[in-house]
Amino acid sequence: MWRNVAVIGVGQTKHGRRRDVNTAEMISEAAWRAIEDAEIAPEDIDAIVIGNMQGFGGICQAELWAGDWIGAPGKSVLRVATGGTTGGSVAQAAMYSVISGLYDVVLAIGFEKHSDSKEPGATTGLAHVGLANLFYMFNYGAPMRALFALSGGVGAAAGVSSYQAMFYMHRSGCRIEHYDMVAAKSRRNAAKNEYAHLQWPNCTPDDIAKTPMVAYPLRFGHICPASDGASAIIVASEEIARRVDRPAWVKGLAACADEENQMGENAQGVGILDTSEQLQCRIAAMKAYEMAKIRNPREEIDVAEIYQPFPHQELMYAEKLMLFDDGKAWIALEEGETEIDGRIPIDPSGGVLSTNAIGSSAMQRVAECALQIMGKAGKHQVPKDVKNAVAHGWGGSTNFTVVTVLGDAPRR
Amino acid sequence: MGVRRVAIVGYAQTKHQWDMPKTREDMVFEVAKGAAEMAGVTREEIDTVINASSDYLDGRTISELFLTMPSGAYLKDYTKTEMDGAFAALYGVMKILAGTHDVALIVANTQGSTFNPHQVSYHMLDPTFDRQLKVLNDMAIAAIQARMYMDKYGVAEEEVAMVSVKNLWCAAKNPNAHRKMPGVTVEDVLGSKMLYEPIRELMMSPVSDGACAVVLASEEKARKLTDNPVWIEGVGSSQDFYVRDRNLQRLEALEKAARRAYRMAGIKDPFAEIDVAEVTERYAHEELMIYEALGFCEEGKARRLVDNYVTWLGGQMPVNPSGGALGADPITATGLIRIVEAAKQIRGEAGAYQVPEVRRALAHGQAGICAQSNIVFILGGEE
Repeated sequence: MWRNVAVIGVGQTKHGRRRDVNTAEMISEAAWRAIEDAEIAPEDIDAIVIGNMQGFGGICQAELWAGDWIGAPGKSVLRVATGGTTGGSVAQAAMYSVISGLYDVVLAIGFEKHSDSKEPGATTGLAHVGLANLFYMFNYGAPMRALFALSGGVGAAAGVSSYQAMFYMHRSGCRIEHYDMVAAKSRRNAAKNEYAHLQWPNCTPDDIAKTPMVAYPLRFGHICPASDGASAIIVASEEIARRVDRPAWVKGLAACADEENQMGENAQGVGILDTSEQLQCRIAAMKAYEMAKIRNPREEIDVAEIYQPFPHQELMYAEKLMLFDDGKAWIALEEGETEIDGRIPIDPSGGVLSTNAIGSSAMQRVAECALQIMGKAGKHQVPKDVKNAVAHGWGGSTNFTVVTVLGDAPRR
Repeated sequence: MGVRRVAIVGYAQTKHQWDMPKTREDMVFEVAKGAAEMAGVTREEIDTVINASSDYLDGRTISELFLTMPSGAYLKDYTKTEMDGAFAALYGVMKILAGTHDVALIVANTQGSTFNPHQVSYHMLDPTFDRQLKVLNDMAIAAIQARMYMDKYGVAEEEVAMVSVKNLWCAAKNPNAHRKMPGVTVEDVLGSKMLYEPIRELMMSPVSDGACAVVLASEEKARKLTDNPVWIEGVGSSQDFYVRDRNLQRLEALEKAARRAYRMAGIKDPFAEIDVAEVTERYAHEELMIYEALGFCEEGKARRLVDNYVTWLGGQMPVNPSGGALGADPITATGLIRIVEAAKQIRGEAGAYQVPEVRRALAHGQAGICAQSNIVFILGGEE
């Protein structure tokens, strides 16, 4: 049955273009930092959970050869991968490993090394998400142009997200200017985070507004980078966590998957047309809060780390996480409530908009929440006392969500 | 095993074959529905769905994405372990032990005909060194291993071929198996195509399309669902060093995984206490090495278990009565199929390849090159 577990150590690499290390070196950089941060010995670790997006760096099952670098031999190694949610799914698998009682200390690692692919970032990898399904629709004579438009296949993640950004604007009444504000805030916050990729001190919404339009309504300044990086956490049982000054206790965790395709199964046209609906995120949030015994997230959540490679997602998911009324997050943004020193800081680390090493990204959300609770976030530490923090991740074709609630006290 | 116990309450598998005339989605739907029906659970009663498939093997990014609906994961807790389905089963067990979930559906699938898995194995090598050499893949490394093992213990090619004969005879009795060769002889195996010396076509698992699903439930739920639950008495897993850095003559990670599973199940003498074993032997020589790692015999003595018909159907310790991976190998589903076949033996549902009076069974799954990562399950029937 349930037993309390906590995050007792966090390790991150500098994210960005990392031509100075290979994948194994990069993973071990994050892993050893987490081990040192937790003040444990490598042999104290019972099991490892690891994940990334296969193929993005042209590598398959990297833990097989990179495992030797992180002390994997002789330990149980579980590989978990779920698209964008990977890091969050890996973290949750590590948490369940300890909650179950099978293991006492588990190391969880998420990583990506985009610069190892020839073309910039993950374009090919993401095109392969839906491509295979489009192929058998060609057999029915559907024209390629229509299919790509329907599925958002063009432009991969940015393609899917530009439709979503339009839906969200329509639903909430916010404007592109608000997306500029979110992006500028992320770049500014990232400048305070030594591990972040795109750092831009004093970035203003006007700076973002000057960048070229990529896919309406998304500008170049609205789009996340393709980073190299790894992040890791150490999850431990209550007995071990008690030895740490201020561990980040796991209070609630949930994952949820909605229908995978905007067109519906086999393009029958019965699927979700409004991709800003995000029912699965609301369900995951409700489950995680219920587990964490959080009745009023608006009052009880002190900081949120939201997976937002595109700016509308910060606003949209903040609403789905019940931090604001539906369609009202942009008003709080205008009032500065989501700044580092605001009422409810969102992505004080700069978020995914400023750093996106995919397998690492959702793990960083959990890691950053843990840092805020432990009081170790450095220059981007929020000034207020952090009792509860919520970490979010989305993946798939924006239809997977993971939500993890961490707190300064164990679950009662 | 903690406060809670976990049971297998339902399972289903496809008829494994080359170039299956079904989409991946149809295949997954068939087994997910089949396992849930056998368990007597509705989709609403399933708390979590865990998929086991691989982006590389499926030739697509986020391989589980379009399987949400066919596996019944719509608006449910859904995740993927990108390795053998037996590891997904371990994750399912952990979620149930955690008390957060009561019923878990594990679905594993690979269509090997889509994308050559031996080509994929090349990408599983260290990219900064071994891949640059362009001489190694899973078969080449297994051949080196086979030669090292055979030379060390004086194992003849005929003895390795006997393992293939044993498993293929059984596969012929298994309606779900892929490679059916009733009456195959040692001469046939040794006459089959030489791939990488000393490995011949019939000493290696076939490339199969197939899927498998298992429903796991907490003790309380299992008691309500069935009179015939199969209990998970022990589980252990371990990863070994990368191929370059390890002694290929023995499977040390499997030894560790087995020890953990035996300890959890309270097994002291595995040969005496286990009635049947279903193992993932991608190569005939590997099965011999598995016997030693599982503690069925002393190091280097495994060939005697085959020579003396101990591990044949009808012997003292039948191994792979279903035909094993040499009979069908839909990669990520293979380990989960071993769990299903072990459960069938306990429940007396194995038909033509049933082993009499099975109380306790062992199932083994592996991932990586030359069984780098291993997992062992000990299953038991009602006391």
